[in-house]
Amino acid sequence: MDYLELIHINKTFADTTVVHDFNLSAQQGEFISLLGPSGCGKTTTLRMVAGFEFPSSGTIKLNNKELTNTPPNKRNVGMVFQSYALFPNMSVAENIGYGLKIAGKSKEEINQRVTEMLSLIHMEDFGKRYPARLSGGQQQRVALARALAIRPHVLLLDEPLSALDAKIRVELRQEIRRIQQQLGITTIYVTHDQEEALSISDRIVVMNEGKIEQIGSSTEIYNFPQTEFVAKFVGQINLLPVDVVNPTEGVVRLGQQIIKAGQFGHLNGNPIRLAVRPEELDHGYVEGANNLSGKVESISYLGSIVRIRLDIEGHPVSMDVFNERKLSIPAVGEPYQVTFAVDACWLI
Amino acid sequence: MKTKKRNMWALFWAIVALLYFFVPLYGTLDFSLRMERGRLSLMAYQVVLSDPQFLASFQYSATMGLITILVSVLIFLPTIYWMYLRVPEARPLMEIITILPFIIPVIVFAFGLIRTFSGPPLQLTLTPFKTDILITIGYVIISMPYMYRAIDAGMRTIDVRSLTEAAQSLGSNWFQILYSVIFPNLRFAILSGSLIVFATVIGELILGDFLVRPALGPYMVQVGRDTAYQPAAMAMLSWGLTWICLGIIQFFGRGVNSQEIVSR
Repeated sequence: MDYLELIHINKTFADTTVVHDFNLSAQQGEFISLLGPSGCGKTTTLRMVAGFEFPSSGTIKLNNKELTNTPPNKRNVGMVFQSYALFPNMSVAENIGYGLKIAGKSKEEINQRVTEMLSLIHMEDFGKRYPARLSGGQQQRVALARALAIRPHVLLLDEPLSALDAKIRVELRQEIRRIQQQLGITTIYVTHDQEEALSISDRIVVMNEGKIEQIGSSTEIYNFPQTEFVAKFVGQINLLPVDVVNPTEGVVRLGQQIIKAGQFGHLNGNPIRLAVRPEELDHGYVEGANNLSGKVESISYLGSIVRIRLDIEGHPVSMDVFNERKLSIPAVGEPYQVTFAVDACWLI
Repeated sequence: MKTKKRNMWALFWAIVALLYFFVPLYGTLDFSLRMERGRLSLMAYQVVLSDPQFLASFQYSATMGLITILVSVLIFLPTIYWMYLRVPEARPLMEIITILPFIIPVIVFAFGLIRTFSGPPLQLTLTPFKTDILITIGYVIISMPYMYRAIDAGMRTIDVRSLTEAAQSLGSNWFQILYSVIFPNLRFAILSGSLIVFATVIGELILGDFLVRPALGPYMVQVGRDTAYQPAAMAMLSWGLTWICLGIIQFFGRGVNSQEIVSR
C-alpha cells in the first residue's frame, strides 16, 4: 500500500511553474532520492511535503490522510537541512530533545530518547556540547538525531551532505542509509549528486525543469535511461548523431561506419542519436559486436579510471578503462579501434 | 625599519586618542571632588544622591527606559523577524523608515506629538498616566534606529529561515519559535540595543521637558544651571552607570558569539 502519495502536484511562484504535474507514491520504509540539477524543483517538492510550501494544485497524502494544507508543525515530518540548522543556544542533548519537549513529553522520556538517539548516531559522549564545538559531520548527525527523535512519519533530507568534505560525505551517506534501514523510516532525500543518489536509494526520481524525467531503481536509471536528459545527467555518456540505415533492425551509420543498436523505438525520421556509456567501450575488434575506428585525441587520468578521448568520424567519443599498472596507454594521434556490444548501446 | 616607524605612529595616535578620552574625564572627576574648598571629597555626590528630586527623576527615567526597552523589543523583534522570513525585499524601506528619527529634529517631533495628541480623538495629555503613554511612544520612536539596528545585526548572524523551519518541523508554533529559538540567539543583540535605548531615555531632554514629566534630562539641565559641582558628579555617575550596563551585557552575552558563528 502506498504510504506517501504526491498526486498531480503543481507549484507556481508568480508566473513561473517550478513543479509541474508531479506524481509519486512511496512505500513505507522506502528510501527515495529526488535527483536533478539546481532549480529543477526538487527542493520545492520536498518543502511541499514538509509543509513549508503549499502546492498550487494537487494533493499530498500520508497514510491515506490528506495533509496538503496542514501546517508544518502539525505534520510530524522530520527535516534535515543542508545548513544543519541546529539551535546554537542549546546543547546537543537539548537540540535532540527539543521536539519532544515541545510535544510535552516527560523529562524521563526525553532523557531516554535522547540517550537512544545519541547511541544511534554514535555520539554518546557529546550530549553536553554546544553545536559550536562540533565538526560539520557531527552537527549533521545531531541534526539527523533531532529529526528522528520525534519519531516522524517521514524523514526529509535536503542536500544534507553538500556542505561537507568528500570523505565525510561518503561516510555519512552510508550512516544515513544504515539508520534509515534500522528504523525502517520512509525517507525522501534531495540531492544533485548522482553518485550519492545511486548509492543509497531504493528508487530515484530524476527531475528536470519541474518535471519528472524518470522514476526507477539505481540500475534502471543508470543502465536504462528513458530520456536524453537522464542519460546525460546520470553518469557519462557518448551521444553520437547517426543516420538510420535499417529502421526495423536498428542499424545506423556514423559517417561511413555501421552500428547496430540493442534498443531502439519507432525510428520516425527525427534526428537520431546513438547512446553508449564510456565504460562499455573496449579497445580492439570483436566479431559480431560494434567496431569503430578513430584516433586518440587526449588522455585524462581520473584516479581509478583513465579516460581516453577519441575522434571517430569527426565526433568526440570517450572511453573509460580501469587504471591498472599494466595498462598500456595509446599515444595522442594514434589510430585506435574500439568495440562495444550491441546490447550496450541504444538509440535516442 | 619601515614597520618600526609605522608602529611608533600607531602608538602616538593611540596615546593621543587615550588623552582625548581620559583628560576631560579626569578633569570632570577632579572637579566633582572639589566641592569642599582645599580638599578632595565626595560631597558633590552626597548632595546629588541625597536630593530627593534627583532620585525621583532618575527613578522615573529608569522606569520609562525599561518600559521603552520592553515595548521596543515587543514591536521590533517580531517585525524584523517577519521581515527576514517573509519580506526580505522590504529591508531597504525599513532602513529608511528607521533612520527618520535622525533626520527629524526631536523638537519638531515633540511639537508634532503634542499637537496630534492634545485634542480629540486621541487625547493623551490630560493625565500623567496618559502623558506617560505618549512619552513612551516618543521614546520608542527616537530610540528606534538603535534598537532596529541592534536586532537587525543579530538577525544577520543567524540563519533565521532554517532555524524557523527546523523548529516548525519539530512541532513549534510561532510563539515557541520566537521564545525558545530566535530570542535566545539574539540575546546579545537585544541587550546591546537595550543599553543604547536605556542611555537615550536616561539622557533625553526635549520630550521630558515639553511634555512636563519629571525626567532626569530636564532635572540635569536645571541643576547645571543652578549649581557648579553637582553636574560634574552626575556626569561621573552616568558614566559609571553606563559601564555597569556594559558589564551586565558582557555577563549575559558571554559565549553567545561563538555559538552564533556556527549557526550560519
